[in-house]
Amino acid sequence: MGKLSLSIPPAFFPLLVEGPAMAKSVTTMSAVSTSEGLLSTRPEVIQRVRGGPAQAPWGAIMVYLTPALLVYLAFTMYPVVLTFYNSFHVIKPRGAEEYVGLANFITLFTKDPTFWRAVANTMIWATVAPVADVGTGLVLALCLYAKVPFARFFRVAWFTPVLISYVVVGILWMWIYNYDWGIANQFLRTVGLGAWAHSWIGDPATALWALIFAHAWKWAGFNMVVCLAALFALPSEVLEAAELDNCGWFRKLVHIIIPMLRATLLNLLILAFVGKMKVFDLVWIMTRGGPLWSTETVSTYVYKRAFEWNTFDLGYPSAVAAVWFIVVMAFVIGLTWLFRQRERLEY
Amino acid sequence: MPIPRVWTHALLLIGLALYTVFSAGPFAWVSIMSLRTTPEISASPYGLPERIHWDKFLTAWTTSHYGMYFWNSTLVVVSAVAILTILGAMAAHCFARYRFRGNRLLFFLIFSAIIFPPQVTIISLFQVLVKYGLFNTRAGLTLVYVSIQLPLTMYILESFFAQIPQELYEAAKIDGCSDYNIFWRLTLPIGVPAIATTIILNFISLWNEFLYAVVLITDEEMRTLPLGIQKFMGDQMQDIGMIATGLMIAIVPVIVVYALFSEKLIRGMTAGAVKL
Repeated sequence: MGKLSLSIPPAFFPLLVEGPAMAKSVTTMSAVSTSEGLLSTRPEVIQRVRGGPAQAPWGAIMVYLTPALLVYLAFTMYPVVLTFYNSFHVIKPRGAEEYVGLANFITLFTKDPTFWRAVANTMIWATVAPVADVGTGLVLALCLYAKVPFARFFRVAWFTPVLISYVVVGILWMWIYNYDWGIANQFLRTVGLGAWAHSWIGDPATALWALIFAHAWKWAGFNMVVCLAALFALPSEVLEAAELDNCGWFRKLVHIIIPMLRATLLNLLILAFVGKMKVFDLVWIMTRGGPLWSTETVSTYVYKRAFEWNTFDLGYPSAVAAVWFIVVMAFVIGLTWLFRQRERLEY
Repeated sequence: MPIPRVWTHALLLIGLALYTVFSAGPFAWVSIMSLRTTPEISASPYGLPERIHWDKFLTAWTTSHYGMYFWNSTLVVVSAVAILTILGAMAAHCFARYRFRGNRLLFFLIFSAIIFPPQVTIISLFQVLVKYGLFNTRAGLTLVYVSIQLPLTMYILESFFAQIPQELYEAAKIDGCSDYNIFWRLTLPIGVPAIATTIILNFISLWNEFLYAVVLITDEEMRTLPLGIQKFMGDQMQDIGMIATGLMIAIVPVIVVYALFSEKLIRGMTAGAVKL
């Protein structure tokens, strides 16, 4: 839409010139009789309309596009290229850099168990979280769609965590998981399961899961809102027809609602998956990748190697970032392509 | 039959109420704690305030420098959102209005940045900003913020602008409106709903932004609110009461924006959901 227009088909011409052009013709040709004036100005008007967008007004395009393009080139494209360039170098402070070829990548793939630990953690997160987030979101959306009482209040209460910054969420959940007075352990002690009380983010066995849980707490509301929008866009006739056929709610859900929400749900799953491949903030605030690398993600590892470790080398973390960039892009393109293919096969 | 139905409904409502406690409870808890002192909280973490300590907000604002962080955040976020709106709208207008060679290619190129993992730019951004003296400045952070939100802003605005009927533009042209006037006098006024959506969305995302701030700002004087809270948490781990007050200072603006513009915000976020 909207990108038509360039050369206006002659059939539309009378429609277009009717109002303003006529006025103009009257002012310019005031001496001549109206009908004659119209006739005589017509070719000129055609010229002007055609002369507009048809031959792209490069001046205007430049003015509109240059600022955004400059920002994009300077702060997105150039850094990406620079990262790839850096990944083949060892870069020490004060600008000293040394070309090392593929050495960074060889170290990364063969001699860096921490990196692989980070990849494993990130992939666990990226596969578990989408199911949890989108699943919870869908269930919540269905509840609201079924017109439970206080739906408006529920929607606000469930959505609010989405808006809160990771710093706040992280600190809140650190307190919730606190061994002595955190609500998680207090709750277990009250119901008599005090033996299960745990230092949730202090124990390598549970830390990653505790973080995944807190992350899902933040994002369920987002998935709910998107699912709800998709639910309200469903054609009501289909659901009514199912009701007339005495279809139970569970079967309605499995056979009608979920298939019809397919596109939305897949989009959300991909979005959650890709989002989790970049996860940084919550980890950095709550555990800094610890204890014992049990919550290290690729993002926190890059940050640590670049700005925390005393290696003072920006080349190696750039190599990690470059590899991960390619992995993320491959997943996005691959998943989108895969789901497109399946859609095509089905119809 | 009706009785089991009532029971299932009651069960459902109880389940939903429990989930609500789970999702909103932490806010209630932190807002109560923000009004209590640390000794009171240590004595009973889940108690109600005996006396409401509004003065804690004043202490946080002045002694704990939250006022400064708040000001830094406001300055950076407001200028970034202002620049974003103008740049994004101009680019979107151009992509939606003019047909020229490379239109779709450029659009896709800028838009694809939306899926880049931040790590791929952040190390080099650090280098670049250091090199040009923008490291540790609010101006540098503002420019980076503009660049990270630009793809989404442009995408939302372009899809809206593309729906404005071309006839309006033709009419304006014939009335003698130049290519430059058309943007200010036609696209911007008509695009207000979409522009408002992007403003709100960008405000919330950038207000909460942490990763770029933590890399590009090290100076205490320049810290934004998320950074300030994180450092405060690191230094004063035990002072739970004061941290809670700081958290509230960070939460309140977001909640106010949400309360005022919830529909627009949700529309913007759902538009972002198809950002692939």
